[in-house]
Amino acid sequence: MRALSLPAERKPAKRPAMAEALVVRNLSKRFGGLRAVRDLSFSVDEGETVALIGPNGAGKTTSFNLITGYHRCDAGSVVAFGRELVGLRPYDICAHGLARTFQVARPFGKMTVLANVMTGALLRDKTLALAREKAREAISFVGLSAREHVPARDLTTIDQRRLEMARALATAPRLLLLDEVMAGLNPAEIDQAVALVGRLSERGLTIVIVEHVMRAIMAVARRLVVLDHGQKIAEGSPAEIVANEEVIRAYLGTGYAPAASPGGARC
Amino acid sequence: MLVTVAQAVVNGLLIGGIYALVSIGVTLIFGVVKIVNFAQGEFVMIGMYISFFLATGLGIDPLLSLVVSMPALFFLGVLLQHFLIRRVLALGDMPQIFLTFALSLLLMNATLLLFTANYRTVQTPYTEAALHLGALYLGVAKLIAFAVAMALSGVLWVFLHATDLGKAMRAAAQDRDVAMLMGVNPDRVFAVAVGVALALAGAAGSLLMPFYPAYPLVGQVFVLMAFVAVVLGTLGNVTGALIASLMMGVAESLGIQFVGADSGLIVVFLMLLLTLAFRPSGLFGGWTR
Amino acid sequence: MDPVTRRRSGRGGLWLALLAAAALALPLVVSNRFAIDVFIRVLLFAFIGVAWNLMGGYAKQLSLGHAAYFGLGAYTSTILLIRFGVSPWIGIVAGGVVAMAASLPIGALCFRLRGPYFAIATIATAQVLMLVFLKLRDLAWGAEGTTLPNLGNAPLMMQFDGKAPYYYIALALLAIGLAVTYGIERSWMGYYLIAVGEDEDAAEAIGVNALRVKRQIYLISAFLTALAGTFYVQYIYFIDPNTAFSFNVSVEAALVSIVGGIGTLWGPVVGTVLLEASSALLQSWLGGGHGGVQLTVYSLILIAVILWRPTGLIGVLASAYARVVPAGRAQAGEAPRDG
Repeated sequence: MRALSLPAERKPAKRPAMAEALVVRNLSKRFGGLRAVRDLSFSVDEGETVALIGPNGAGKTTSFNLITGYHRCDAGSVVAFGRELVGLRPYDICAHGLARTFQVARPFGKMTVLANVMTGALLRDKTLALAREKAREAISFVGLSAREHVPARDLTTIDQRRLEMARALATAPRLLLLDEVMAGLNPAEIDQAVALVGRLSERGLTIVIVEHVMRAIMAVARRLVVLDHGQKIAEGSPAEIVANEEVIRAYLGTGYAPAASPGGARC
Repeated sequence: MLVTVAQAVVNGLLIGGIYALVSIGVTLIFGVVKIVNFAQGEFVMIGMYISFFLATGLGIDPLLSLVVSMPALFFLGVLLQHFLIRRVLALGDMPQIFLTFALSLLLMNATLLLFTANYRTVQTPYTEAALHLGALYLGVAKLIAFAVAMALSGVLWVFLHATDLGKAMRAAAQDRDVAMLMGVNPDRVFAVAVGVALALAGAAGSLLMPFYPAYPLVGQVFVLMAFVAVVLGTLGNVTGALIASLMMGVAESLGIQFVGADSGLIVVFLMLLLTLAFRPSGLFGGWTR
Repeated sequence: MDPVTRRRSGRGGLWLALLAAAALALPLVVSNRFAIDVFIRVLLFAFIGVAWNLMGGYAKQLSLGHAAYFGLGAYTSTILLIRFGVSPWIGIVAGGVVAMAASLPIGALCFRLRGPYFAIATIATAQVLMLVFLKLRDLAWGAEGTTLPNLGNAPLMMQFDGKAPYYYIALALLAIGLAVTYGIERSWMGYYLIAVGEDEDAAEAIGVNALRVKRQIYLISAFLTALAGTFYVQYIYFIDPNTAFSFNVSVEAALVSIVGGIGTLWGPVVGTVLLEASSALLQSWLGGGHGGVQLTVYSLILIAVILWRPTGLIGVLASAYARVVPAGRAQAGEAPRDG
């Protein structure tokens, strides 16, 4: 019996093609006077890769935190694979199949790479030997096998990010939320990361990715959801979004709206 | 009956002023430096011993010795920050907790070794004096202590809100990284924060001397009150600590009056446990999960 | 921490066997009562430290109120003994159960806080218990406490002539504590504990129910600590709230682990040996009557360790050993454990 930590190839005939993996409806959260997320709604189909983009402070990471249970939302609903997630604790949400990475990697510094990932694998089965096998698979998937026994705190930042992903994968998720995994990578590394995400998608994993690196987004995402000041301002294919006036305005300010408004730049 | 209650409330407020000095110090250090100073009570103790020795050796009234104890403790605070605290800032919770905790143990026991466990008291002309306000009895020593405590709190408030250094401290408390980007020197700010906090503790000690005995473990009582007040008043919130301290003084006093002489501690613990159970972020806590 | 590369080399097993043999033989060789007393104290406080270490070292829940469970264990067995004639061998387990039960509401309250405020809350709970027992005159003798009835040599009632039996009981307790720690370290629980200790939020993100983990380890830690309480009362034939719920017990429980090596199997043992040895030396050098010497020295040692080697001295010993004895196998996988 093969113990896999990664989802197996999905047989398309078994599931209706348009099943929704994640449905976010009217999600709202305020911190004191700041409305971090306002009435956000979007959905992700099973097997899709959707990118959540927007200028800094748009509420992307907060949305992740709301979806995964780190913050309690003020209003709204999050349904993943048919189950309401609002009100659940992060570990229950993980058990239900949602795994996430953090923007700044949070490894268990004291433990080795293997031990870190094993901790993730232990969610599904408490047998150590099995967890070790699954962990090793995830580690090899992200390319960290050579550093299996290195204490996590001694890893480079990029390797820590790989570790973060391996650990998330070890929990055998159905939906993966990646928070800015490409930040600070050089072009070669971006290509590697893109390939990794691609392979995950081929295996049927649903992926929501928060990203700033346009090149990566274009390569992996089939659909983009654009946030600004906590609200969704646009949604569509990469080509559509790039041409969208509101999106351009959000990122670059009103002075750059194409053609129609000949006013000067604001500042 | 009403008079009894009023008297208890007044007594509670007066001692609450002292608690305020101690708890403000704790919350200031926590807010700015982000560590909990378990040894705060011991600095009150040091302030008391300084005043005691100045009084018995040189005949200086404890209230006057504020002029010595406050600067001395400020200086001690700067040293503390520079030589000890600075070294553990990057290390995480455990070393930080145990550093100040060990310091507390050290100060208590070194004092025990050097000065024995004997209670030290100072008699001043006003130790036994009291004002009579209607049917209420106000100990002069306690009244002066309260007044000075409130004055110092006021000065601190002005310092934090009207001076550049004070604003820098508040900025560092809110967001250290951004503050650094704005040119705030964290070491300097931390040193001042710790210095001020310890100076306040020293002031509390001097103010206590006329009506309270000094002994090695005396700090423990006050630090406990202080911690509860800090939690109740929300961590890092100076005004909150002040208000909570006064509340606790009153609660303790009412407890002693109506429940029993040693129920003071129980009241305090109850307040702590209730706060933890129902409002862990304190009365003025905003941020929820 | 990864058991795969941490297979005990033959060498490690040999050392352990030697140590065990020496420990077992000790009372036969040493007849000085003061010395045996020191050894018993070392074993007992190492055991308390090991119990604390499960919570404080691995899961990083820094409790400074473990005396609460020490005292509950002590009082439970004593009450059962004196009021109901129950043997302390049963009482010791009953004490453990009472402590476990107490750890649930205490944990429920205290785990809402993190870091230093958790520590303060635990101090408060131990103090509350002390205050409560100071008042319980009918059931528990109030502030004066009580001495245990001297039954002479009564093994079934955990009373013995001579010190050797007490030594062996303490040794057994320590062995139990170490075995429990070893077992947990090597199980899935060990991984979860360390994960919670390192980064609770990240742990929750990969499915770890942090609160449940803390609760579970608290149960175990409380149980073990209570056993120590019963033993102590049986050893000194006296109990009162100040001794049973003594803040010093709480402090030493944490201290020996931090000084010796927080979150390691042998750390608390190393720490206890160091601290108790220095304390005993001081005592024989200065004589009695110097209140505060012991704690002054302890706190200086603690400060030194924190500034110089926050992960504890066991790391120093390990690297010293490695330098002196060229190791047969590279122990790369062990590094994280020893900091």
